[in-house]
Amino acid sequence: MARRLEDIQRVIPKIGLEVHVELATRSKMFTRVGNPACPEFEDSEPNTLIDPVVLALPGALPVPNRAAVEMSVRVGLALGCQIATLTKWDRKSYFYPDLPKAYQISQYDLPVCGDGAIDIPVHDPKSDEVRTKRVGIIRAHLEEDAGKLLHEWPGGGRIDFSIVDLNRAGTPLLEIVTAPDFDNADDVVAFAQALRNLCRALGVTEGVMQKGHMRFEPNINATLELPGGHTVVTPIVEIKNLNSFRALRASIEHELREQPQRWVEDGREMGPGAKTTRGWDDQREVTLLQREKEDAHDYRYFPDPDLLPVEVDRAWVESIRSAMPELPHERAARYRRDYGLAWKETAALTEEPGVGELLDEAIQSCIERDIERDRGARLGANLVLQCLFRLANERSVAPGAMGIDAERLGGVIVLRASDRISANAAERLLEMLIEEPLTDPEVLAEREGLLQVRDDSALEAWVEEVLADPAMAASASDVRNGKTAAVGRLIGAVMQKSQGRADAARVREMLLERLHG
Amino acid sequence: MAVAILGAMGAPSPESAGSPIPCPLSNEEVCKAARLARLEPDPATHNRIGEELGTILGYFQRLQAMDLEGVEPLSHPLDARNRLDDDTPRPGLSNEVFMSLAPESEPPFVKVPRVLPGQSGA
Repeated sequence: MARRLEDIQRVIPKIGLEVHVELATRSKMFTRVGNPACPEFEDSEPNTLIDPVVLALPGALPVPNRAAVEMSVRVGLALGCQIATLTKWDRKSYFYPDLPKAYQISQYDLPVCGDGAIDIPVHDPKSDEVRTKRVGIIRAHLEEDAGKLLHEWPGGGRIDFSIVDLNRAGTPLLEIVTAPDFDNADDVVAFAQALRNLCRALGVTEGVMQKGHMRFEPNINATLELPGGHTVVTPIVEIKNLNSFRALRASIEHELREQPQRWVEDGREMGPGAKTTRGWDDQREVTLLQREKEDAHDYRYFPDPDLLPVEVDRAWVESIRSAMPELPHERAARYRRDYGLAWKETAALTEEPGVGELLDEAIQSCIERDIERDRGARLGANLVLQCLFRLANERSVAPGAMGIDAERLGGVIVLRASDRISANAAERLLEMLIEEPLTDPEVLAEREGLLQVRDDSALEAWVEEVLADPAMAASASDVRNGKTAAVGRLIGAVMQKSQGRADAARVREMLLERLHG
Repeated sequence: MAVAILGAMGAPSPESAGSPIPCPLSNEEVCKAARLARLEPDPATHNRIGEELGTILGYFQRLQAMDLEGVEPLSHPLDARNRLDDDTPRPGLSNEVFMSLAPESEPPFVKVPRVLPGQSGA
């Protein structure tokens, strides 16, 4: 039967995802020389994070890093995984100049984390609705990263050979493998973003995509429905080494468009040996077949005789579990449910580690000072989103690392919630607190003249001055004639005279009484 | 050679240990195993290697025939657990030492024959 594109009645995609997370331990996976995925060592000169283990010098023996195992357990618990009581190390044969041992230490049949599932939120921008997507986790295992092979000089410059930098060789990698539970690119990207937020909140990586801290490899195929109830399944395509959400989405969408077409052209279906590996060309936005030797995937795993199995003590796992923070997607859901915040706001508040914690503690300090929880939360969220993020951005630091503690942020929210400062004054006060983080916000507001003036006699003087101004006569007349909206211009003039300190609500009352009275 | 290693480890010789069915590896299988290991054995030795590897696999055939119901898988011959190191960085080797060890270098890098981009598979 001839294969024709128009005979394909439906395409049912099936997508699974592998994610490599470089763990930000201070030292490497199997030796204690510095790890470039940790900020402390990221700017090291090429080939300086090396030692006999990294270089595979004779006699060098690997010793696993406890922190890497602990970080993996943390991620595994967050993903609802079973944590192995016994986990072991295997060699994966791999001949390439970026890994001098000629094998990668990985985990084959006893990974540290297995069999889990996580519910992630997926936002539909059209309807603004949030639905929950369950993603199965097959396993998460620890291994070591390879070094870097460069084919030109750093910064450009052609060479007719390749050069090796082994700084990254031996960096701990956690490889997370999902079940093929996705049927569209949006859900895959939502999962990838949720995973990045989760890993950053758990302190296992900085999650800087451009630095390769997280790399994605989707496995994609589709069932094609044909006339007469026939179906064919296309061969699985694995796309290697994607390091942006944009590339992840675009490459999946590209594959799902291409696979029906490819089947029409070559008739290949899923079966043994049919899986192919493709790379992503970011400029042309296409996937390209990576030509590999027939037995490239014959890794000949076997247990590493240099390493004994590791027992993951139950008490240890429980102590890690008890120290787990609220996860970003759980916090975002709570903000939406309890405070009525919008998706966009909760996404921003929970993306950066430390911000949600700061806001929650500030809200708590407001509650202790008799501010109603929801009012404190809304004002606090606005202050963080509109002001703290801008200030952090201007200073190129993380919003949670501005030096403003929850007590003082709470102090600003209290002043604002009790109408003692204006919205503008709250922003100025936050900015001043960055310079003087130890000063009490109320003391600072008073010293800088930011407290709202509510004294009627002072307000009256400004109101009279404005009403006596000929430039304001038309607006005053409009208000007298029933156009109440015109009062805004008069309030603005009073606020200007008071340098933003007048209590705007009281000014409005006074103006309306004066003009209608 | 492989049989010699097993012998040295105290494994019973095929003759003394009953009857592992010797099933030599074909020349094609020997060539594949050699290619995967990046070895180039003299073709004159292929038959002998095939026989030796076949004998080793014979041992596994015998193991596979055993009833292991309820027996914990053995993940390492030593009944011991690995220690885990504290995550405290220590100084490594200098770039100068590394360059002096490398067959060819373009400091601070090691120079290797040209490899096509995107072939890495780790």
